[in-house]
Amino acid sequence: MMNWPDMKDSAQLLYYCPGTVEEALQLAQQYPGNFSYLAGGTDVWVNRRQGNNTANCLIDISHIAELQTVIPTGSTLKIGALIKLDQLKNLPQIREHFPVLIQAAHSVGSPLIRKMGTLGGNILCENRCIYYNQSESWREAVNYCLKSGGEMCIATGGRKACFSEFVSDTAAALISLDAAVEIGDPGGSATLKLEDIYSGDGLRPRRLSKTALIKFILLPLGRKYQVVFKKLRPRNSMDFTSLTAAVSVNNSGRLKIALAGVSPGPVVIESDVHAHPETLVREALKLSKIVDNDVYSRLYRREMIRVFLEESFEALRGTNP
Amino acid sequence: MKHLQLTVNERRYDALVEPHETLATVLREKLGLTGTKIGCEQGACGACTVQVNGAPLLSCITPALRCQGANILTIEGLASNGALHPLQEKFVEKGAIQCGFCTPGMVMTALAFLQEHPTPTVEQIKEAISGNLCRCTGYKKIIEAIAAAAPLLRGEAEIQPPSAGTTASRDGFRIVGKATPYIDARKKVTGEARYADDYQFKEALHCKFLRSVYPHARIISIDASEAKKIPGVRYVLTGEELPEKFGVLPISRDQTALAIGKVKYIGEIVAAVAADSEEIAAAAVKRIKVQYQPLRPFLTIAESLQPIGEGEEAIHPHCREGKNIHKRASLRFGDQRQGLQQAPHRCRMHFEFEGVSHAFTEPHACTAFCEANGNITLITATQVPHYVHRSLAKVLQMPVDKIRVIKPFLGGGFGGKGDPFAHEIIAAFLAKKLGKPVKVRFSREEVFLTNHGRHPTQMDIELGADPEGKFTVLDADIKIDGGAYGSFGVVTTYYNGVLLQAPYQIDNFGFETCRVYTNKPPSGAMRGHGAVNPRFAMEVLIDELAHQMGMDPCEMRFKNFLPSHTLTVGQLRITSNGVREALQTVMERSQWRERYGKLPFGRGLGVACGFYISGSALPIIWNQYPQTAVQIKVDLDGRVVVYSGASDIGQGSDTMMAQIAAEVLGLDLHNIHVHSADTLMTPVDLGSYSSRVTFMVGNATKMAAENLKQEILNRVADGIGAAVELLEMKNRRIKSSDGKVDLSWNEAVEMATAGRGALVASGYYISPKLGGNFKGAGAGLSPSYSFGAVVAEVQVDPASGRVTVKNLWGAHDCGRALNPLAVEGQLEGSWHMGMGQALSEALKYHQGLIINPGFLDYKIPTSLDIPDFHTHIIESCDPEGPFGAKECGEGALHPAVPAIANAVFDAVGVRITSLPISPEMILKEIRLKEKIEAV
Repeated sequence: MMNWPDMKDSAQLLYYCPGTVEEALQLAQQYPGNFSYLAGGTDVWVNRRQGNNTANCLIDISHIAELQTVIPTGSTLKIGALIKLDQLKNLPQIREHFPVLIQAAHSVGSPLIRKMGTLGGNILCENRCIYYNQSESWREAVNYCLKSGGEMCIATGGRKACFSEFVSDTAAALISLDAAVEIGDPGGSATLKLEDIYSGDGLRPRRLSKTALIKFILLPLGRKYQVVFKKLRPRNSMDFTSLTAAVSVNNSGRLKIALAGVSPGPVVIESDVHAHPETLVREALKLSKIVDNDVYSRLYRREMIRVFLEESFEALRGTNP
Repeated sequence: MKHLQLTVNERRYDALVEPHETLATVLREKLGLTGTKIGCEQGACGACTVQVNGAPLLSCITPALRCQGANILTIEGLASNGALHPLQEKFVEKGAIQCGFCTPGMVMTALAFLQEHPTPTVEQIKEAISGNLCRCTGYKKIIEAIAAAAPLLRGEAEIQPPSAGTTASRDGFRIVGKATPYIDARKKVTGEARYADDYQFKEALHCKFLRSVYPHARIISIDASEAKKIPGVRYVLTGEELPEKFGVLPISRDQTALAIGKVKYIGEIVAAVAADSEEIAAAAVKRIKVQYQPLRPFLTIAESLQPIGEGEEAIHPHCREGKNIHKRASLRFGDQRQGLQQAPHRCRMHFEFEGVSHAFTEPHACTAFCEANGNITLITATQVPHYVHRSLAKVLQMPVDKIRVIKPFLGGGFGGKGDPFAHEIIAAFLAKKLGKPVKVRFSREEVFLTNHGRHPTQMDIELGADPEGKFTVLDADIKIDGGAYGSFGVVTTYYNGVLLQAPYQIDNFGFETCRVYTNKPPSGAMRGHGAVNPRFAMEVLIDELAHQMGMDPCEMRFKNFLPSHTLTVGQLRITSNGVREALQTVMERSQWRERYGKLPFGRGLGVACGFYISGSALPIIWNQYPQTAVQIKVDLDGRVVVYSGASDIGQGSDTMMAQIAAEVLGLDLHNIHVHSADTLMTPVDLGSYSSRVTFMVGNATKMAAENLKQEILNRVADGIGAAVELLEMKNRRIKSSDGKVDLSWNEAVEMATAGRGALVASGYYISPKLGGNFKGAGAGLSPSYSFGAVVAEVQVDPASGRVTVKNLWGAHDCGRALNPLAVEGQLEGSWHMGMGQALSEALKYHQGLIINPGFLDYKIPTSLDIPDFHTHIIESCDPEGPFGAKECGEGALHPAVPAIANAVFDAVGVRITSLPISPEMILKEIRLKEKIEAV
């Protein structure tokens, strides 16, 4: 039960600290399939120590200045992916237009994690499961789950699918705000709706190429979102989510639900303020794939989806008569 | 290797660094700045926090190379020209430091916070430190220290003189009773204090372990040939080389240092590798091939109570009754069956408790080295050097006089460092075998796998009362899950029963306890040992009975309290007893009468009481040696040195000894030096567990100091020709009441040492003979007992079932508070730990494997989860305690847990009888209740 990388791995580990996106992408092309980008590192470093990240090349992008800026461009606010979670509260445009993003960022980890972790990193946080986020020999003792290269999912007692949870609190908030992401890749840039980068497959939770990196998060201005954000966790600090719900209503009466912590990808429901609440709750429950791989039971988390959504609808009714 | 340039604490450093090395490792191992601690290696405890370019950062998950050219501030860089930073000063002064292991990270986090928020609110402070775990203080004094430092950092002058709490002496004492920062607090707050992993030795080898991945399996073969081929691997050790069994209790020595023949839990050590570096040792461990033949594992109490089937194998050959039973204990006074039949009111309930962990912040670590003469020294994070000493002698088959065990600064124990451990024995063996220092440090996961935490427990308990609410009969049937080995388990087995005998008078009382072995990490002693779970059951049962009888639960308790100076039904001798005053106090402070049962739905108050031993009156190793011996020496320079085997594990025992010696000798605290917990230099003490140290070592220190005082006075009287009866020692002077003698301390010492040299005096403590003449009469005997009460106020969200503890009023009778600051710290820490067991902490298993072996998944309450603690010290002045003192380190925990459960009942009307209380259980019970009420 060790927290130390293998001798061989550590001897071979390469570390680069590029100063620009272009340099980073170039390095990525040099080490395809065998590297990890490192932003805040709060997630990647722990996964390395537990042997879940076995990359032998780290491309530390944390010094790329370009990705640490916020640029309002007409109808869109462009947020650098390397903005730290803790910095969001200091940005006037976010305070004014997207306070829920500050709330969501504030719910991540601990104050120290938020001073290290980046917005882009949180969006790309690896899926989690109590049978996966463990040391090498722990996973050996349960005979390795599917995500650890084994034959079957331990949490479900043998299913051939991975139910590791998508746990990004900020992604839930951002999706509810109709965020898009600007992706940099050696092949060129692309802009995608944030929810579209997630595959829903616990084994490969993102539809991005290995070399892709998120450069900017794009938020549409002027839609006057009202958002209710809730997170279920045992403690008021430190814990990953067991259920995150962001429910938004915009100025054209569109309602959007984004859930994290209940499925290998975000659960997204788009509707309008006139939709029947019970229908929305049922839809959310139907789309969730909760299994017993968390500190709370499957049944309880399902129950809390209903509670969180009903409370959110109630709160939104209060703000949006 | 890359060349890393850093500025650390305004000094330039160059180091060659591998990409996989973290900033924490480089600071600690390459620059020798060991003030930065490593507690979890996953960014979930904050002990490694440093500032990089002005921002706080978790150095244990930061690649060192990221910090190229950075300007770094560590705890060592805070003090300036020998003067503490004001924030450090406040941590010392406010008692914010107990074991000190979280302190450097906490201070660095707080410093960055105050720089950003010069005028913080309490809520902001709680938020700011919510990524830094502290297991000792309950955060209250840390929050106070940060709040008090804020104005100083803003450059404002101190309003009050820098002395905390009670400054005036009471009852004629100068030192005793005065709120006193720990004498070692400065060392802890500057990073100077060295913990077990902070020792660095030339040519040290590093030891790593291959641990079992099966809960129960025969070892068919171990092939280490590939491991041995790795350059730098010095030795691969397997079980056969250390066949001698050990265990903390002489009556259950059932463990070998490494598994021999079979493994009994996941995490048990199967092989050990000593190598030139930690990485090499780890790599070698991975290359050891073990072939196992799995055996049927026994994972629950129920499974272990079934007869062992055909083709199955008991966990140990000495298991009883053809089942995996380790120990049964029972005592009966009166006929409980008849008593319950006749009781007009009775209440029976079933309780279940999951195992919980000490979760001290410092992982186990040790270094052993062999001296030229063949003697072995082991520096280890232990609560009991004496038991480690004995175990090393037994397993290594070496004479005791060739072994030295030293406890360095220790980052919390709570019972979890009270056993002798396999890794300590292995390190010592390898050091002797290889002639080089051998170092072991555990990952946080290894700490959890080693466990020795509180026993998972099942309990059926029934209480009967007469129409007035006086208890007439109590019967308990208790089953505890011991895991794979004995540890303190035989004691736990008795304590679960016998510690139900107080604080209430119940003349018809009986219990039966059964401890089973299971294929899980061993259970052992944890804060409040053996009594926390039955206390929970008893106090919830009382609450329910009072509810059924329509009586106020406080009133019911008042009707049943034992008086002072009495015997319980099982002949435990109660001396001082402040339980009534304790309950009265928390009732008044919580406005119990005005508010209990009258708060809106979702809000509730709950009450509970408790008591605990001040050390066991009987030692676990039977001999005629006193329970502790203390020596005290003064030499020509006037310095007084106290030598004691007692382990300061953050509870402040070194300070306690210094206070007592200073009080008796009329000196100041800084005149006293304490040298403790070193088996070469200090007399035997039985260790820091069972809340024995203040009472026993305190008494021995007092006796030693009084003997020294008498010796000095005699010699001064002789030298001057004065009557010794007229002499007194006070305020660093020796004076006679007739005014003829007036010497300074140093003049008196010079006179006293003339012609004979340094003076050494001794003291000891032997418990009076106590207890009855029946089998089992010795269990639970203590020369004195502490008492306490708690009222908790909770808010329960009926939609989610979530419980928030809003307030906790606690009062604890500690006899006399020798050091009120330390006593408050012990109480607040106990309540915090009790709250963890009540609401969030549990060791969860998947087929014998701990699912949550880390600080992210094992849920210690953070600073944002705690209630306002309202702390009240009750002083009953025990007739036999040193200056009247008795225990305060464990007993306060007991009432905290049931008070919270009882508050939940008051809030939402549901009775939760298993721990931890989950929101899910509450919702389920609320639904059930609604259904029943609807019908």
